[in-house]
Amino acid sequence: MGAIVEVKDFSFKYRDARRRAVKHVNFSVEEGSLFAIIGANGAGKSTLCNALVGLIPHYFSGARAGKILVDGSDVADSTIAELSKTIGLVFQNPFNQLSYTAGTVAEELAYGLGNHGVPRDKMVERVETVAKLMRIDHILDKNPLELSGGQVQRVAFGSTFIMEPRILVLDECTTQLDPMGSEEIFDIVKKLNASGVTVIMVDHDMERVARYADTVMVLERGEVASIGTPMEVFSDDSIEQHGVDVPDYVSLSRALGGPIVITEEPAIEMAKEALR
Amino acid sequence: MAVKITYANTPVSRLHPMTKIMAILMLGLCALVWPDFTLGLVLVIALFVVSFVARIPSDFVKIMFGFGIPVTVMLMFIQGLYSPKNQTVIADFGFAQLGLEGVLYAAKIVMDLLVFLGSFTIMSKTTYTGALVAALTSAGLNAKAGYLILASLNVVPQMQRRMSVIREAQNARGLSESGGLFSRLAAYVPLLGPVVMSSLTDAQERGMTLETRGFGITDVKQTSYVEVRWRTVDKVCNWVLVIMAVIVTAISVGIYIGVIPALTPWAGA
Repeated sequence: MGAIVEVKDFSFKYRDARRRAVKHVNFSVEEGSLFAIIGANGAGKSTLCNALVGLIPHYFSGARAGKILVDGSDVADSTIAELSKTIGLVFQNPFNQLSYTAGTVAEELAYGLGNHGVPRDKMVERVETVAKLMRIDHILDKNPLELSGGQVQRVAFGSTFIMEPRILVLDECTTQLDPMGSEEIFDIVKKLNASGVTVIMVDHDMERVARYADTVMVLERGEVASIGTPMEVFSDDSIEQHGVDVPDYVSLSRALGGPIVITEEPAIEMAKEALR
Repeated sequence: MAVKITYANTPVSRLHPMTKIMAILMLGLCALVWPDFTLGLVLVIALFVVSFVARIPSDFVKIMFGFGIPVTVMLMFIQGLYSPKNQTVIADFGFAQLGLEGVLYAAKIVMDLLVFLGSFTIMSKTTYTGALVAALTSAGLNAKAGYLILASLNVVPQMQRRMSVIREAQNARGLSESGGLFSRLAAYVPLLGPVVMSSLTDAQERGMTLETRGFGITDVKQTSYVEVRWRTVDKVCNWVLVIMAVIVTAISVGIYIGVIPALTPWAGA
Protein backbone atom coordinates (compact mmCIF):
# COMPACT_ATOMS: atom_id res chain seq x y z
CA MET A 1 0.00 0.00 0.00
CA GLY A 2 1.18 3.54 -0.72
CA ALA A 3 1.49 6.60 1.46
CA ILE A 4 -1.83 8.06 2.55
CA VAL A 5 -0.23 11.02 4.36
CA GLU A 6 2.77 12.87 3.03
CA VAL A 7 4.35 15.76 4.90
CA LYS A 8 6.82 17.61 2.73
CA ASP A 9 9.24 20.09 4.28
CA PHE A 10 6.49 21.44 6.52
CA SER A 11 7.22 24.36 8.84
CA PHE A 12 4.84 26.47 10.88
CA LYS A 13 5.16 29.43 13.20
CA TYR A 14 2.10 30.54 15.16
CA ARG A 15 1.22 34.21 14.86
CA ASP A 16 2.97 36.16 17.62
CA ALA A 17 5.20 33.17 18.50
CA ARG A 18 8.95 33.68 18.74
CA ARG A 19 10.05 30.47 17.10
CA ARG A 20 8.62 27.97 14.66
CA ALA A 21 6.58 25.20 16.29
CA VAL A 22 7.66 22.74 13.60
CA LYS A 23 10.61 23.04 11.23
CA HIS A 24 11.24 21.31 7.91
CA VAL A 25 9.36 18.17 8.88
CA ASN A 26 9.34 15.40 6.30
CA PHE A 27 7.64 12.04 6.67
CA SER A 28 5.05 9.82 5.08
CA VAL A 29 2.56 7.41 6.58
CA GLU A 30 1.73 4.17 4.81
CA GLU A 31 -1.95 3.37 4.44
CA GLY A 32 -3.11 0.95 7.14
CA SER A 33 -0.06 1.47 9.35
CA LEU A 34 0.22 2.73 12.92
CA PHE A 35 2.49 5.75 13.08
CA ALA A 36 3.56 7.13 16.47
CA ILE A 37 4.83 10.63 17.16
CA ILE A 38 6.76 11.06 20.37
CA GLY A 39 8.69 13.89 21.96
CA ALA A 40 8.93 16.11 24.99
CA ASN A 41 6.32 18.75 25.81
CA GLY A 42 6.50 21.59 23.31
CA ALA A 43 8.18 19.44 20.67
CA GLY A 44 5.45 20.26 18.13
CA LYS A 45 3.40 17.04 18.29
CA SER A 46 -0.01 18.69 18.71
CA THR A 47 0.87 21.30 16.07
CA LEU A 48 1.54 18.49 13.64
CA CYS A 49 -1.78 16.81 14.55
CA ASN A 50 -3.61 20.10 13.98
CA ALA A 51 -1.87 20.51 10.63
CA LEU A 52 -2.78 16.98 9.50
CA VAL A 53 -6.53 17.60 9.93
CA GLY A 54 -6.39 21.07 8.38
CA LEU A 55 -6.76 23.16 11.55
CA ILE A 56 -3.48 24.64 10.32
CA PRO A 57 -3.82 26.73 8.14
CA HIS A 58 -7.65 26.98 8.26
CA TYR A 59 -7.93 27.74 11.97
CA PHE A 60 -4.58 28.71 13.34
CA SER A 61 -2.95 31.53 11.46
CA GLY A 62 0.78 32.00 11.12
CA ALA A 63 3.70 31.57 8.76
CA ARG A 64 3.54 28.25 6.97
CA ALA A 65 5.81 26.53 4.47
CA GLY A 66 5.82 23.12 2.81
CA LYS A 67 2.91 20.83 2.05
CA ILE A 68 0.75 18.25 3.75
CA LEU A 69 -1.00 15.82 1.46
CA VAL A 70 -3.79 13.67 2.85
CA ASP A 71 -4.93 11.00 0.42
CA GLY A 72 -3.28 12.98 -2.35
CA SER A 73 -4.97 16.33 -1.60
CA ASP A 74 -3.25 19.33 -0.06
CA VAL A 75 -4.97 20.11 3.25
CA ALA A 76 -4.63 23.82 2.47
CA ASP A 77 -6.92 23.37 -0.54
CA SER A 78 -9.72 21.53 1.32
CA THR A 79 -11.99 22.72 4.12
CA ILE A 80 -11.69 21.10 7.54
CA ALA A 81 -15.23 19.77 7.15
CA GLU A 82 -14.37 18.13 3.82
CA LEU A 83 -11.21 16.64 5.30
CA SER A 84 -13.29 15.14 8.12
CA LYS A 85 -14.58 12.59 5.59
CA THR A 86 -11.06 11.16 5.37
CA ILE A 87 -9.24 12.08 8.57
CA GLY A 88 -10.51 12.32 12.15
CA LEU A 89 -8.79 13.88 15.17
CA VAL A 90 -9.30 12.91 18.79
CA PHE A 91 -8.28 15.93 20.85
CA GLN A 92 -6.01 15.84 23.87
CA ASN A 93 -8.74 17.45 25.98
CA PRO A 94 -11.90 15.37 25.49
CA PHE A 95 -14.14 18.24 26.59
CA ASN A 96 -12.98 20.06 23.43
CA GLN A 97 -14.42 17.25 21.36
CA LEU A 98 -18.00 17.81 22.48
CA SER A 99 -20.39 19.70 20.24
CA TYR A 100 -22.35 21.09 23.21
CA THR A 101 -25.51 20.82 21.16
CA ALA A 102 -26.44 17.30 22.18
CA GLY A 103 -28.79 16.53 25.04
CA THR A 104 -27.62 12.93 25.25
CA VAL A 105 -24.48 10.89 24.67
CA ALA A 106 -26.24 9.13 21.77
CA GLU A 107 -26.84 12.45 20.03
CA GLU A 108 -23.25 13.50 20.73
CA LEU A 109 -21.93 10.34 19.08
CA ALA A 110 -24.24 10.85 16.11
CA TYR A 111 -23.43 14.55 15.63
CA GLY A 112 -20.75 14.05 12.97
CA LEU A 113 -22.86 11.47 11.15
CA GLY A 114 -25.68 14.01 10.94
CA ASN A 115 -23.32 16.53 9.38
CA HIS A 116 -22.29 13.92 6.82
CA GLY A 117 -25.95 13.24 6.01
CA VAL A 118 -25.98 9.61 7.18
CA PRO A 119 -29.60 8.31 7.22
CA ARG A 120 -31.10 7.98 10.69
CA ASP A 121 -31.50 4.18 10.69
CA LYS A 122 -27.81 3.71 9.88
CA MET A 123 -26.96 6.38 12.44
CA VAL A 124 -28.82 4.50 15.19
CA GLU A 125 -27.11 1.27 14.20
CA ARG A 126 -23.65 2.83 14.30
CA VAL A 127 -24.29 4.60 17.60
CA GLU A 128 -25.25 1.28 19.18
CA THR A 129 -22.21 -0.52 17.79
CA VAL A 130 -19.76 2.19 18.83
CA ALA A 131 -21.37 2.62 22.26
CA LYS A 132 -21.00 -1.11 22.96
CA LEU A 133 -17.43 -1.10 21.74
CA MET A 134 -16.57 1.94 23.87
CA ARG A 135 -18.51 0.54 26.85
CA ILE A 136 -20.71 3.60 27.06
CA ASP A 137 -23.96 1.90 26.06
CA HIS A 138 -25.26 2.31 29.63
CA ILE A 139 -24.93 6.11 29.49
CA LEU A 140 -26.39 6.77 26.04
CA ASP A 141 -29.32 8.74 27.45
CA LYS A 142 -27.18 10.85 29.83
CA ASN A 143 -26.26 14.46 29.24
CA PRO A 144 -22.60 14.63 28.06
CA LEU A 145 -22.04 17.55 30.45
CA GLU A 146 -22.77 15.30 33.43
CA LEU A 147 -20.14 12.67 32.67
CA SER A 148 -16.79 12.03 34.31
CA GLY A 149 -13.55 12.85 32.48
CA GLY A 150 -12.97 9.20 31.57
CA GLN A 151 -16.49 8.80 30.23
CA VAL A 152 -16.16 11.99 28.17
CA GLN A 153 -12.89 10.66 26.77
CA ARG A 154 -14.66 7.50 25.62
CA VAL A 155 -17.45 9.58 24.09
CA ALA A 156 -14.88 11.83 22.39
CA PHE A 157 -13.04 8.87 20.92
CA GLY A 158 -16.29 7.19 19.86
CA SER A 159 -17.62 10.37 18.27
CA THR A 160 -14.57 10.50 16.00
CA PHE A 161 -14.24 6.91 14.88
CA ILE A 162 -18.01 6.53 14.42
CA MET A 163 -17.49 8.68 11.31
CA GLU A 164 -15.33 5.87 9.92
CA PRO A 165 -12.40 8.02 8.81
CA ARG A 166 -9.67 6.27 6.84
CA ILE A 167 -7.09 8.03 9.01
CA LEU A 168 -7.40 8.49 12.75
CA VAL A 169 -5.18 11.03 14.53
CA LEU A 170 -4.99 10.47 18.29
CA ASP A 171 -3.46 13.34 20.23
CA GLU A 172 -2.80 11.82 23.66
CA CYS A 173 -6.39 10.65 23.71
CA THR A 174 -6.28 8.60 26.90
CA THR A 175 -5.03 11.18 29.40
CA GLN A 176 -8.26 11.07 31.46
CA LEU A 177 -8.43 7.27 31.61
CA ASP A 178 -7.05 4.85 34.17
CA PRO A 179 -4.47 2.30 32.89
CA MET A 180 -7.15 -0.33 32.32
CA GLY A 181 -9.41 2.10 30.44
CA SER A 182 -6.46 3.27 28.43
CA GLU A 183 -5.62 -0.29 27.43
CA GLU A 184 -9.24 -0.90 26.43
CA ILE A 185 -9.11 2.10 24.12
CA PHE A 186 -5.89 0.85 22.58
CA ASP A 187 -7.38 -2.56 22.02
CA ILE A 188 -9.99 -0.76 19.92
CA VAL A 189 -7.30 1.24 18.16
CA LYS A 190 -5.52 -2.02 17.35
CA LYS A 191 -8.72 -3.53 15.96
CA LEU A 192 -9.41 -0.45 13.86
CA ASN A 193 -5.83 -0.50 12.60
CA ALA A 194 -6.11 -4.21 11.78
CA SER A 195 -9.27 -3.45 9.80
CA GLY A 196 -7.29 -1.04 7.60
CA VAL A 197 -7.64 2.32 9.38
CA THR A 198 -4.40 4.30 9.35
CA VAL A 199 -3.58 5.50 12.87
CA ILE A 200 -1.31 8.40 13.72
CA MET A 201 -0.90 8.67 17.47
CA VAL A 202 0.85 10.94 19.90
CA ASP A 203 1.61 9.14 23.11
CA HIS A 204 3.90 9.33 26.13
CA ASP A 205 3.56 5.64 26.97
CA MET A 206 6.69 4.25 25.37
CA GLU A 207 5.87 0.61 26.12
CA ARG A 208 2.68 1.05 24.15
CA VAL A 209 4.41 2.86 21.31
CA ALA A 210 7.08 0.14 21.12
CA ARG A 211 4.44 -2.56 21.14
CA TYR A 212 1.91 -1.21 18.65
CA ALA A 213 3.60 1.25 16.30
CA ASP A 214 4.91 0.32 12.87
CA THR A 215 6.88 3.55 12.64
CA VAL A 216 8.02 5.95 15.36
CA MET A 217 8.97 9.56 14.77
CA VAL A 218 10.78 11.53 17.47
CA LEU A 219 10.24 15.28 17.46
CA GLU A 220 12.56 17.63 19.28
CA ARG A 221 11.95 21.38 19.29
CA GLY A 222 9.84 21.07 16.15
CA GLU A 223 12.35 19.01 14.16
CA VAL A 224 12.47 15.34 13.33
CA ALA A 225 15.20 13.91 15.55
CA SER A 226 14.71 10.31 14.56
CA ILE A 227 12.34 8.16 12.51
CA GLY A 228 12.17 4.43 11.95
CA THR A 229 10.75 1.21 13.33
CA PRO A 230 10.38 1.11 17.13
CA MET A 231 13.39 -1.15 17.31
CA GLU A 232 15.52 1.22 15.25
CA VAL A 233 14.45 4.26 17.24
CA PHE A 234 14.61 2.82 20.76
CA SER A 235 17.84 0.87 20.25
CA ASP A 236 19.63 4.12 19.39
CA ASP A 237 21.79 5.00 22.40
CA SER A 238 21.33 8.72 21.85
CA ILE A 239 17.54 8.62 21.81
CA GLU A 240 17.14 9.86 25.40
CA GLN A 241 19.09 12.99 24.50
CA HIS A 242 16.08 14.04 22.39
CA GLY A 243 13.91 14.37 25.46
CA VAL A 244 12.09 11.04 25.27
CA ASP A 245 12.11 8.07 27.59
CA VAL A 246 12.73 4.59 26.33
CA PRO A 247 10.59 1.59 27.25
CA ASP A 248 11.69 0.01 30.55
CA TYR A 249 12.57 -3.15 28.61
CA VAL A 250 15.25 -1.24 26.72
CA SER A 251 16.85 -0.12 30.01
CA LEU A 252 16.57 -3.69 31.29
CA SER A 253 18.26 -5.19 28.25
CA ARG A 254 20.99 -2.56 28.40
CA ALA A 255 21.55 -3.38 32.06
CA LEU A 256 21.70 -7.09 31.31
CA GLY A 257 24.12 -6.43 28.49
CA GLY A 258 22.16 -8.46 25.96
CA PRO A 259 20.61 -7.49 22.66
CA ILE A 260 18.15 -4.61 22.88
CA VAL A 261 14.54 -5.66 23.37
CA ILE A 262 11.62 -3.22 23.32
CA THR A 263 8.60 -5.31 24.29
CA GLU A 264 7.50 -7.39 27.23
CA GLU A 265 7.80 -10.99 25.97
CA PRO A 266 11.43 -10.94 24.80
CA ALA A 267 12.33 -8.95 27.91
CA ILE A 268 10.89 -11.72 30.11
CA GLU A 269 12.79 -14.33 28.12
CA MET A 270 15.97 -12.29 28.52
CA ALA A 271 15.42 -11.92 32.28
CA LYS A 272 14.79 -15.68 32.63
CA GLU A 273 17.94 -16.38 30.68
CA ALA A 274 19.94 -14.05 32.92
CA LEU A 275 18.58 -15.75 36.05
CA ARG A 276 19.56 -19.25 34.90
CA MET B 1 -32.90 0.73 19.85
CA ALA B 2 -32.58 4.50 19.63
CA VAL B 3 -32.41 6.54 22.82
CA LYS B 4 -35.61 8.42 23.59
CA ILE B 5 -35.74 11.66 25.54
CA THR B 6 -37.95 11.24 28.56
CA TYR B 7 -40.59 13.93 28.74
CA ALA B 8 -43.93 13.18 30.42
CA ASN B 9 -45.63 10.99 27.86
CA THR B 10 -48.75 12.99 27.15
CA PRO B 11 -50.80 13.73 24.03
CA VAL B 12 -49.25 17.21 24.02
CA SER B 13 -45.62 16.06 24.27
CA ARG B 14 -46.23 13.55 21.47
CA LEU B 15 -47.26 16.27 19.04
CA HIS B 16 -44.80 17.21 16.30
CA PRO B 17 -42.87 20.40 17.21
CA MET B 18 -44.09 22.08 14.03
CA THR B 19 -47.69 21.50 15.16
CA LYS B 20 -46.90 23.31 18.39
CA ILE B 21 -45.29 26.18 16.51
CA MET B 22 -48.36 26.31 14.28
CA ALA B 23 -50.54 26.41 17.40
CA ILE B 24 -48.59 29.38 18.79
CA LEU B 25 -48.98 31.28 15.53
CA MET B 26 -52.64 30.43 14.85
CA LEU B 27 -53.90 30.89 18.41
CA GLY B 28 -51.98 34.14 18.66
CA LEU B 29 -53.41 35.30 15.36
CA CYS B 30 -56.96 34.45 16.47
CA ALA B 31 -56.54 36.41 19.70
CA LEU B 32 -54.98 39.35 17.87
CA VAL B 33 -57.60 39.75 15.16
CA TRP B 34 -60.63 39.22 17.40
CA PRO B 35 -62.10 42.63 18.22
CA ASP B 36 -62.17 42.23 22.01
CA PHE B 37 -60.61 40.23 24.83
CA THR B 38 -63.26 37.49 24.95
CA LEU B 39 -61.70 35.03 22.50
CA GLY B 40 -58.31 35.59 24.13
CA LEU B 41 -59.85 34.77 27.51
CA VAL B 42 -61.44 31.61 26.13
CA LEU B 43 -58.10 30.57 24.63
CA VAL B 44 -56.22 31.27 27.86
CA ILE B 45 -58.71 29.09 29.77
CA ALA B 46 -58.28 26.41 27.12
CA LEU B 47 -54.49 26.66 27.51
CA PHE B 48 -54.84 26.08 31.26
CA VAL B 49 -56.74 22.88 30.44
CA VAL B 50 -54.02 21.89 27.96
CA SER B 51 -51.37 22.49 30.63
CA PHE B 52 -53.14 19.93 32.84
CA VAL B 53 -53.25 17.45 29.98
CA ALA B 54 -49.54 18.12 29.40
CA ARG B 55 -48.86 17.57 33.14
CA ILE B 56 -47.18 20.92 33.57
CA PRO B 57 -49.90 22.83 35.51
CA SER B 58 -47.69 24.24 38.26
CA ASP B 59 -45.02 25.59 35.88
CA PHE B 60 -47.73 26.97 33.64
CA VAL B 61 -49.62 28.68 36.47
CA LYS B 62 -46.39 30.21 37.80
CA ILE B 63 -45.47 31.72 34.43
CA MET B 64 -48.96 32.89 33.53
CA PHE B 65 -49.66 34.56 36.86
CA GLY B 66 -46.10 35.74 37.33
CA PHE B 67 -46.33 37.61 34.04
CA GLY B 68 -50.09 38.21 33.84
CA ILE B 69 -50.71 39.91 37.21
CA PRO B 70 -48.07 42.66 37.02
CA VAL B 71 -48.78 43.33 33.34
CA THR B 72 -52.53 43.49 33.97
CA VAL B 73 -52.11 45.88 36.89
CA MET B 74 -49.73 48.08 34.92
CA LEU B 75 -51.90 48.22 31.78
CA MET B 76 -55.15 48.68 33.72
CA PHE B 77 -53.54 51.59 35.52
CA ILE B 78 -52.19 53.25 32.37
CA GLN B 79 -55.05 52.52 29.98
CA GLY B 80 -57.91 52.56 32.53
CA LEU B 81 -56.94 55.90 34.02
CA TYR B 82 -55.23 57.73 31.20
CA SER B 83 -56.39 56.34 27.83
CA PRO B 84 -57.68 59.12 25.54
CA LYS B 85 -60.40 56.68 24.39
CA ASN B 86 -62.02 56.72 27.84
CA GLN B 87 -65.61 57.98 27.73
CA THR B 88 -67.54 55.74 30.13
CA VAL B 89 -66.49 56.22 33.73
CA ILE B 90 -66.80 53.09 35.81
CA ALA B 91 -65.05 54.36 38.96
CA ASP B 92 -64.08 57.79 40.22
CA PHE B 93 -61.07 57.98 42.53
CA GLY B 94 -61.12 61.73 42.80
CA PHE B 95 -57.63 62.27 41.43
CA ALA B 96 -58.46 60.18 38.31
CA GLN B 97 -61.33 58.33 36.71
CA LEU B 98 -61.30 54.71 35.58
CA GLY B 99 -62.63 54.46 32.03
CA LEU B 100 -64.35 51.38 30.60
CA GLU B 101 -62.78 51.74 27.15
CA GLY B 102 -59.25 51.82 28.56
CA VAL B 103 -59.94 48.84 30.82
CA LEU B 104 -61.30 46.81 27.89
CA TYR B 105 -58.33 47.76 25.74
CA ALA B 106 -55.93 46.75 28.51
CA ALA B 107 -57.79 43.43 28.88
CA LYS B 108 -57.44 42.81 25.15
CA ILE B 109 -53.66 43.44 25.19
CA VAL B 110 -53.19 41.27 28.28
CA MET B 111 -55.17 38.39 26.80
CA ASP B 112 -53.30 38.59 23.48
CA LEU B 113 -49.98 38.47 25.31
CA LEU B 114 -51.11 35.61 27.55
CA VAL B 115 -52.23 33.54 24.56
CA PHE B 116 -48.76 33.88 22.99
CA LEU B 117 -46.98 33.34 26.30
CA GLY B 118 -49.16 30.39 27.34
CA SER B 119 -48.90 28.54 24.04
CA PHE B 120 -45.14 29.17 23.89
CA THR B 121 -44.73 27.95 27.49
CA ILE B 122 -46.57 24.74 26.73
CA MET B 123 -44.42 24.18 23.65
CA SER B 124 -41.14 24.84 25.46
CA LYS B 125 -42.07 22.67 28.45
CA THR B 126 -43.22 19.72 26.37
CA THR B 127 -40.73 19.75 23.50
CA TYR B 128 -37.17 18.48 23.57
CA THR B 129 -34.94 21.18 22.05
CA GLY B 130 -33.15 18.65 19.88
CA ALA B 131 -36.49 17.56 18.43
CA LEU B 132 -37.51 21.16 17.84
CA VAL B 133 -34.30 21.90 15.94
CA ALA B 134 -34.52 18.62 14.01
CA ALA B 135 -38.08 19.54 12.99
CA LEU B 136 -37.09 23.08 12.02
CA THR B 137 -34.06 21.84 10.07
CA SER B 138 -36.09 19.27 8.16
CA ALA B 139 -38.58 22.06 7.43
CA GLY B 140 -35.80 24.01 5.75
CA LEU B 141 -34.05 25.87 8.57
CA ASN B 142 -30.34 26.35 7.87
CA ALA B 143 -28.17 23.88 9.84
CA LYS B 144 -26.07 26.79 11.14
CA ALA B 145 -29.18 28.51 12.49
CA GLY B 146 -30.18 25.20 14.10
CA TYR B 147 -26.78 25.00 15.73
CA LEU B 148 -27.15 28.54 17.06
CA ILE B 149 -30.44 27.65 18.76
CA LEU B 150 -29.05 24.51 20.38
CA ALA B 151 -25.75 26.10 21.37
CA SER B 152 -27.50 29.12 22.90
CA LEU B 153 -29.71 26.88 25.01
CA ASN B 154 -26.73 24.81 26.15
CA VAL B 155 -24.50 27.73 27.01
CA VAL B 156 -26.06 28.29 30.46
CA PRO B 157 -25.50 24.80 31.92
CA GLN B 158 -22.05 24.80 30.37
CA MET B 159 -21.11 28.11 32.02
CA GLN B 160 -22.60 26.93 35.32
CA ARG B 161 -20.38 23.87 35.14
CA ARG B 162 -17.32 25.97 34.37
CA MET B 163 -18.19 28.39 37.16
CA SER B 164 -18.45 25.58 39.68
CA VAL B 165 -15.05 24.20 38.61
CA ILE B 166 -13.42 27.64 38.95
CA ARG B 167 -15.21 28.26 42.25
CA GLU B 168 -13.98 24.93 43.65
CA ALA B 169 -10.43 25.77 42.54
CA GLN B 170 -10.61 29.19 44.18
CA ASN B 171 -12.25 27.81 47.34
CA ALA B 172 -9.41 25.32 47.61
CA ARG B 173 -7.02 28.26 47.60
CA GLY B 174 -8.83 30.13 50.33
CA LEU B 175 -11.61 32.11 48.66
CA SER B 176 -14.46 32.41 51.15
CA GLU B 177 -18.09 32.65 50.05
CA SER B 178 -19.55 32.85 53.53
CA GLY B 179 -20.65 35.94 55.41
CA GLY B 180 -23.09 38.71 54.57
CA LEU B 181 -24.67 39.59 51.28
CA PHE B 182 -21.88 41.91 50.19
CA SER B 183 -19.07 39.51 51.03
CA ARG B 184 -20.94 36.75 49.13
CA LEU B 185 -21.32 39.03 46.13
CA ALA B 186 -17.69 40.06 46.37
CA ALA B 187 -16.71 36.39 46.30
CA TYR B 188 -18.21 36.10 42.81
CA VAL B 189 -16.13 38.94 41.35
CA PRO B 190 -12.91 36.86 41.00
CA LEU B 191 -14.94 34.22 39.15
CA LEU B 192 -16.15 36.55 36.42
CA GLY B 193 -12.82 37.09 34.65
CA PRO B 194 -11.90 33.40 34.31
CA VAL B 195 -15.46 32.41 33.36
CA VAL B 196 -15.71 35.05 30.62
CA MET B 197 -12.18 34.46 29.30
CA SER B 198 -12.52 30.68 29.27
CA SER B 199 -15.88 31.00 27.52
CA LEU B 200 -14.23 33.02 24.77
CA THR B 201 -11.46 30.43 24.43
CA ASP B 202 -14.13 27.73 24.39
CA ALA B 203 -15.88 29.42 21.50
CA GLN B 204 -12.72 29.14 19.40
CA GLU B 205 -12.14 25.52 20.36
CA ARG B 206 -15.80 24.73 19.70
CA GLY B 207 -15.46 26.07 16.18
CA MET B 208 -12.49 23.77 15.57
CA THR B 209 -14.30 20.77 16.99
CA LEU B 210 -17.41 21.33 14.96
CA GLU B 211 -15.51 21.57 11.71
CA THR B 212 -13.46 18.46 12.41
CA ARG B 213 -16.82 16.73 12.90
CA GLY B 214 -18.11 17.80 9.51
CA PHE B 215 -20.04 20.94 10.46
CA GLY B 216 -20.34 23.15 7.42
CA ILE B 217 -20.19 20.51 4.71
CA THR B 218 -22.14 22.10 1.90
CA ASP B 219 -22.98 19.33 -0.52
CA VAL B 220 -25.06 17.11 1.81
CA LYS B 221 -28.40 17.53 3.56
CA GLN B 222 -27.82 17.20 7.30
CA THR B 223 -29.69 14.47 9.15
CA SER B 224 -30.56 14.12 12.83
CA TYR B 225 -30.45 11.34 15.39
CA VAL B 226 -33.53 12.77 17.05
CA GLU B 227 -36.61 11.37 15.42
CA VAL B 228 -39.65 13.56 14.94
CA ARG B 229 -42.74 11.89 13.55
CA TRP B 230 -45.51 13.57 11.64
CA ARG B 231 -48.64 11.65 12.61
CA THR B 232 -52.30 11.84 11.60
CA VAL B 233 -53.09 13.75 14.78
CA ASP B 234 -50.59 16.44 13.70
CA LYS B 235 -52.25 16.69 10.30
CA VAL B 236 -55.68 17.04 11.94
CA CYS B 237 -54.45 19.59 14.50
CA ASN B 238 -52.83 21.71 11.80
CA TRP B 239 -55.97 21.70 9.67
CA VAL B 240 -58.17 22.54 12.68
CA LEU B 241 -55.86 25.41 13.61
CA VAL B 242 -55.78 26.83 10.10
CA ILE B 243 -59.57 26.52 9.63
CA MET B 244 -60.14 28.10 13.04
CA ALA B 245 -57.81 31.00 12.19
CA VAL B 246 -59.55 31.54 8.83
CA ILE B 247 -63.03 31.53 10.43
CA VAL B 248 -61.99 33.83 13.28
CA THR B 249 -60.29 36.22 10.85
CA ALA B 250 -63.36 36.25 8.57
CA ILE B 251 -65.75 36.92 11.47
CA SER B 252 -63.42 39.61 12.87
CA VAL B 253 -63.20 41.37 9.51
CA GLY B 254 -67.00 41.12 9.24
CA ILE B 255 -67.40 42.75 12.66
CA TYR B 256 -64.88 45.49 11.84
CA ILE B 257 -66.60 46.44 8.56
CA GLY B 258 -70.07 46.11 10.13
CA VAL B 259 -71.33 43.16 8.05
CA ILE B 260 -71.60 41.02 11.18
CA PRO B 261 -73.01 42.58 14.35
CA ALA B 262 -70.64 42.68 17.34
CA LEU B 263 -71.06 39.59 19.49
CA THR B 264 -70.50 41.60 22.69
CA PRO B 265 -71.56 45.18 23.44
CA TRP B 266 -67.95 46.25 24.04
CA ALA B 267 -66.42 44.68 20.93
CA GLY B 268 -64.15 47.14 19.16
CA ALA B 269 -64.05 49.43 22.16
